[in-house]
This record gives sequence, C-alpha cells and structure tokens, in this order.
Amino acid sequence: MTENTTMKNRVVEALKDFGLPRLIITGFLLLLLIMAPIVGADLPTQISNIINRFSWNGILVLAMVPMVHSGCGLNFGLPLGIISGLLGATMSIEFGFTGAFSFVVAALIATPFALILGVLYGWLLNRIKGGEMMIATYVGFSSVSLMCMMWLLLPYHSPTMVWGLAGKGMRTTISLEGYYIGALADILKIEIGNISIPTGSILFFALLAFAIWAFLHTKTGTAMTAVGSNPAYAKAAGINVDKIRMLSVVMSTWLAAIGILVYEQGFGFIQLYMAPFYMALPAVSAILIGGASVNKATIMNVIVGTILFQGIVTMTPTVMNNMIHMDMSEVIRVIASMGMILFALTRKTEAKR
Amino acid sequence: MNEKMSNFQIPSKGGKENRFSLSQASVPLMFILICALCIPIAGLSPSYLINEIITRMGRNSFLILSLLIPIMAGMGLNFGMTLGAMAGEIGLILVSDWQIVGIPGMILAAIVSVPISVLLGVFCGNILNKAKGREMITSYIMSFFVNGIYLLVVLYLMGSVIPIKHGSIKLPRGYGIRNTVSLLSMRQKLDNLLAINVSGIKIPVATFIVIALLCLFIVWFRRTKLGQDMRAVGQDMEVARDAGIDVERTRIISIVMSTVLAGIGMIIYLQNMGNIATYSSHSQIGMFCIAALLVGGASVDKASIGNVFLGVILFHTMFIVAPRAGAYITGDSMIGEYFRVFMSYAVITIALIMYETKKRRDKSQTGKELAAAQQAEEAEAGKEA
Amino acid sequence: MKSKRRLLFRTGALLLVLAVAAVMFVIGRGHTVYFDNKTMEYNGQSYEAFYKVVVTVDGEQVAKLSAHDRGMADTMGQNFRMTLEITDEKGAEPRTQSVSMPLPYGMDGVIVNLPALMNGLPGDVYMTEFVPAPVKEEEEEEVPGAEGEEFELTDV
Repeated sequence: MTENTTMKNRVVEALKDFGLPRLIITGFLLLLLIMAPIVGADLPTQISNIINRFSWNGILVLAMVPMVHSGCGLNFGLPLGIISGLLGATMSIEFGFTGAFSFVVAALIATPFALILGVLYGWLLNRIKGGEMMIATYVGFSSVSLMCMMWLLLPYHSPTMVWGLAGKGMRTTISLEGYYIGALADILKIEIGNISIPTGSILFFALLAFAIWAFLHTKTGTAMTAVGSNPAYAKAAGINVDKIRMLSVVMSTWLAAIGILVYEQGFGFIQLYMAPFYMALPAVSAILIGGASVNKATIMNVIVGTILFQGIVTMTPTVMNNMIHMDMSEVIRVIASMGMILFALTRKTEAKR
Repeated sequence: MNEKMSNFQIPSKGGKENRFSLSQASVPLMFILICALCIPIAGLSPSYLINEIITRMGRNSFLILSLLIPIMAGMGLNFGMTLGAMAGEIGLILVSDWQIVGIPGMILAAIVSVPISVLLGVFCGNILNKAKGREMITSYIMSFFVNGIYLLVVLYLMGSVIPIKHGSIKLPRGYGIRNTVSLLSMRQKLDNLLAINVSGIKIPVATFIVIALLCLFIVWFRRTKLGQDMRAVGQDMEVARDAGIDVERTRIISIVMSTVLAGIGMIIYLQNMGNIATYSSHSQIGMFCIAALLVGGASVDKASIGNVFLGVILFHTMFIVAPRAGAYITGDSMIGEYFRVFMSYAVITIALIMYETKKRRDKSQTGKELAAAQQAEEAEAGKEA
Repeated sequence: MKSKRRLLFRTGALLLVLAVAAVMFVIGRGHTVYFDNKTMEYNGQSYEAFYKVVVTVDGEQVAKLSAHDRGMADTMGQNFRMTLEITDEKGAEPRTQSVSMPLPYGMDGVIVNLPALMNGLPGDVYMTEFVPAPVKEEEEEEVPGAEGEEFELTDV
C-alpha cells in the first residue's frame, strides 16, 4: 500500500516540477504526431524533418549550457558567437576554399574571432553581474546592426557573395552549393524510404555534447557549476569567479559560432545582415522547454528541448494546413516559445545547493 | 536600518543624484557631437530640418512621456509599452471599420483602447511582480508574447469571430486585417486643428496642447499620494513595504498607467503617419522611444520631462541626418540607415551598462559604509569595555 | 461612507466616458456623398438633369458637374450642408441654393440624385446607397510573420 502511494507521490512531484507549460507543450506535440497520419500528412517525412532540424539547431541550444552553469543566465547575446561563425564562413569562401573542406576552414577561422569576442563579452558581463540577460540582448543587437554596416564595407570580392552589379557589398543570403552544404549531414547518411537521417551531423552534436558533459565533470567544470549555484562558497573555496565566468562565456560564444556553421550546412545558406538578430530566442526557449531554468541546465534539457521545439515548428504548419487549411503555425510558435521564456523568468530562483 | 525607518522621507540615493554628473551628460553630448558632424554633411536646409523635428516631436512625445511613470516606480525601462501601442492600434482598426472619422474617431479609438490597455497592463504588471529584479528582460519578452496574441486576434479572429464589416481592410482570404490600414479619414486631423505656419514651418498647436496637458498631469501626479508611493517603491521596495505601502499594487498601477498612455500616444502617432502598418508599427516603436528617452539624458532609474524633449530633438535629428550623411560619405544610403539603427541599440546598451555598474558601485559603497560603521561601533564598545 | 462616494464618483466617470463615446459615434460618423447630375424617372415624371451644377461644401468647391456626371465629397456628421450653383440650361442664369439634408446613419456611401433632390422629392427617392463593386484582389498579399523575421528598416 505504502509503496504505491510513494510512487504516486513521486510521479505527481515529478510532474509538478516539470511544470504546466512544458506539459502543455509536450502534450501538444504528441497530439500533432498522432493527428499527422490521420489528416494525411506524411509522418515519415515529418519525422525526418524533425531529426534534420534537430541536427541543425542542437549545438546552438547546447551553447546555452556553460553560461547557465556559471550563473550568467540565459545567453541572449548568442548573436556575438553567430557573427564569429559568419565571419569564418564568409572568409573561408573568400579565400577560395570549396567543398566539405571549407567547413573545416570556416570553423578554424571562426574560432579566434569567437575567442576574442567571447573574452570582451565575458569581461563586460563580469562588470555587470546581476543584469546579464538584458545587457546581453542589447549587446547582441548592437553588434548585429554594427555588422550590417560592416557587411557593406568589408573588402569581400568573391563573386558568389557580392552583389553582381555594384561589385561590392555582401548579398543578404549566400548559397552554399559547391561549398559545405551537407558537409556533415552527408557523412554516413542513412536513407530508409522517406526517412533520411543526417548521421554525420548528429554524431558531431553528440561529440560536442559529450565533450561539454565531460568538461562539467572535470575540476574546472565543477568549479563552474559551483560559481553559478553558490558564488560565495566558490569564492571562499578559492575559485576565481571572474575567470570561470569568462571561460563559460568564451565556451558559449565558440559553441554558437560552430553552431551557426552546422546550421548553415543543414539549411544550405549563409544568412547575413539582420538574420542573426532574433536567433537567440528560439535557442533560449528550446532549452527552457527541455526543462532548464535560468540557473540550471543539463545536456538532457538540450536534447529534449530541441526535439520538442523543432517538433512543434515542423509539425504545426503541416498538420494545421491539412486539417483546417489555416496556417496558424507562426502564431503558435511565438506564443509557445515566448510563453515558455516568460514562465522561466517568473520562477523563483532555484534553492542554493 | 533603524534610521531609515524612523524618518521616512524620500532620501536620495547616495546624494550624487542632485549633482550634475558627467556620466549622465555623456550620452546627450555624444549625440550632439554626432549631429554636429552629420548635419553639414547631409546638406539639408535648416527649415526642412526644423519642420521635421517639430513634426516628430508632436508625433512621438506622448509615447515617450508614457515611459516616465514606470521609471519613477523603479520598474526600469518599460519595454511593455508595446502592449499599449497594440491596444491603440486595435482601437483604430475598429473605429476605422465603424467609419467614424476625424477627431471624434480618434477620441473614440482612445476610449476603446483604454479597457484593452488596462487589461494588458494588469497582466503585464502581475507577471513583472513575479519576476522582481528582472523586470526589463521580462517586459521585453512580454512584448513578443503579447505580439503573438495580437497576431492571433488581428490576423485570425478579426473578420471571423470579431465582425469586421468592410472588406477593404480585410485580407483577400476573408478574415484577418490587411498589412496596411489607411487612416486617410483622420490623417493629421489633430495636427491640423490649430496649426500655425511660421515662415514655412508648420506647428501643430493642438497636438502640443495635448502633450502639454500630459506634462502637467505628470507633474501633478508626482505630488499625489499615489505618486509619492510610487517614488517610494522605486527607491526601495522593502522600506516602502515596511512603511505600509502595497508595493505589488502600486507597481501594477504604474504599468497600467504607462500602458494606457502608450495606447493614446500610439493613436496620436498614427494619426500623424496617416496609416497603420498593422503588423510592424508597434514592434519597433518601443525600442525607438526608449532610445530617444535615453539619448535625452535619462537613465534606467531616473527620467524627467526635460529628458523627453531633449531626447526627441537629438535622437530624431540623428535619425533624419544619418542616412544622408552615410550616402554622402560612402555612396550607399543603406549604411546611414543601418547606422541609425546601430546608434539606437548602442545607446540603450550603454545606458543599461552604466545603470548596472552604478548599481554595483552603490551596493559596494553601502557595504563599505556598513562595514566602516560596524568597525566604529566595535571600536566604541572596545573603548568602553 | 467614503467608499460609497468613491463608487458614485467612479460610476459617474464611467457614464461620462460612455456618453462621450456615444456622442463621438454620432458626430464622427463619416460618409461619402456622391452627387449625380442625372435625369431621374419617378412616378411617370421625368426630372431633367441640369446643364451644369457647381457643388460647394464647407467653402470649398467640390465638383463641377455637367449632365450625367458624378462627383463626390467626404463628410463627417449626420447633417450634410452644401451650396449648389445650378445652371438649368445652356445660357441660363445660374441660381445659387443652399441645401441641408440629414444622412442616414447606416449608409457609408450615399448617392444623391440632384434633380430629384431639387424638385422636392422624398428622401428615399433621391438618396440611394452606394455599394462599391467587389474588387478582385489579384496580388497575393503575404500573410505577415511574427517576431519581425524580415526586420524592416522603418521610419519613426
């Protein structure tokens, strides 16, 4: 008798912890998955789409983890890392690299940019402890709009990237045909009927995810977690709080740079100018949907969150279109993702461990 | 602690507020510099420039004034003013459909927008109360969230569930509002009401009278009990709570007031523009208004009416002049347009950074003072012993 | 006692606002008035179109109509006032007449047949509703997206 009640209590507790909004979103996704074959949507293609989109976005969401652990909050300044990635990608093409190798070069060039920007960003965040998220957002915006001016001025000449008529000024979208489109996705690609699984991308994500998980269990990693959950204790234990926070910001920025490259190879295009502007928000809401909070995030949150978020983004338009011929997907996506962030922001701070 | 409780006035934090600090003037000075550089390059005639500035002052001042009240109550920059803007837009769409024109149309739109604004303001205020310490990022995300609901209402419910009579404002598919709703029937009706022409410069007197009334209201409001309560809450929530003020309710009221004013301000803005860009008018208005206020020398916790008007002049001069200057210097007008967007964001970033660093400095200052006071006490106790 | 006074005050304010709104509804009702200078057949009688009519509304000349012409004016409010300068036939002396007529609340566009009006015919004869022909929208208007995905560089 007692065993059953404890089990029930545990389940109820787990559900309450999970939170009502997450339950709603998970339930909604399950509903969509069930409805899909009924209304005539091609379920295997949809599942394949979800897996593909997961592989594109996974690393961008993973980039949230280090900063959440070190107490810098959700990284609304993701655009800084994205810009590093864009610089790497465009310079790789400008220098004439093609094919899958251009992906490697892009990553190599993006890394120093990510490190420099990450250090600057980290230094700034260390000066304004407590107001990280708001300032991160606006640092992100300012840098994207600054880069908008730069894309027009920087001396790029490659004909695939520059406007044909004027000969200068970057195009808004640059196709990756002939460059690294599908560079990772095509590695060990599995195609079963309608389902195509980009094994390469998923392995790459798994590699980075494992690396982060392993890092968090090293001495520096546990120090990082300590800084986030109990900065006073961390300081007392002799940990250099500022240095650890800066490290987390640099890691996050670098992951964002690699993340946007992975996204581009899946999506097929480089998007410049205002495209990175709002890119932090889907990543933030994805990790929150996966169970994270403002100061607690695990790798499992990343995986679950990205699947749920991309699932909703993929399934809603197709199911709704087939069902009621009305595409409300945009509205649903905005309300679900923003609502999730609001929910997380209004939670009381997690109890100090 | 005890001293604070017994003489409860409104103590100014740190005493530096009253002195004209360099950091406060830095942003306006920077803008004056930029404008001084760009104006001659842009090559615009002075009368054109002055005309544009006066028009924009009439258009935007009401909206920017609505930001003052939440700053007074310690809620920071109210990115949620977008909610009020949406309420104003819905009011105008409905009034447009009912074919009510001219100034009566505007008044009716304002009346219709008020209950919507109040509802949104109460919702926003409640959420902000649950996210104390993170008000700004929460109100920022909230504006996106409510934008989703606005989309739901305007893109799907209007025309289907909410009856819209005129096909001319509906999308071809039969429900949902078009991307642009023409306000030709009330375009500049308020501006033209008592317009004076001074050597080629049109001055919308009626609009300025409305703005002046709002300024008087704000000055009067600061002296009422509710206004004093808000300032107390803005200074220190815990002390205000101990003094018996219902902190939560006061904060919600400040947001509601701001939202209602933003709704009316949006109507004034749109009557000057002459049409509603249904899905984009409100999204950037919040950011530009906050940037303008900050350019005028306001900060996250202190803003005055002077900041509003100075900000409009400086910010909008930059706004007008930058694209031209950019085109002249680089031959590409897009540079100037991106530049002015960049300046708007940069100004907000700088203001936020200054605010946070000052907050940390004040905290460490109070910490040091407490520590020094403690040491003095211990020294006293040691002496007596 | 104090709360009762407050309640009274608040109800009073609310009623005042509603009254103002109602007044706005009436005085702000916009109509578009179309003037037809067309021959009107009614009850066997034919009312000829004038040779030329000049319509002035609010001091501004709004239309100069030859026979079978149509002009229009936007107006606000329920009472419509216009001044007509009518030339019955070619070469005749123009006569000026001021006309004031009430507009029905329900109609957005009102067509006024001038000959019928000038000859004293009843309101439901000289006024008809203007129904705009349904315009077939060719351009596929893009359903707008949220979050400003296309970040428009607008003016403020």
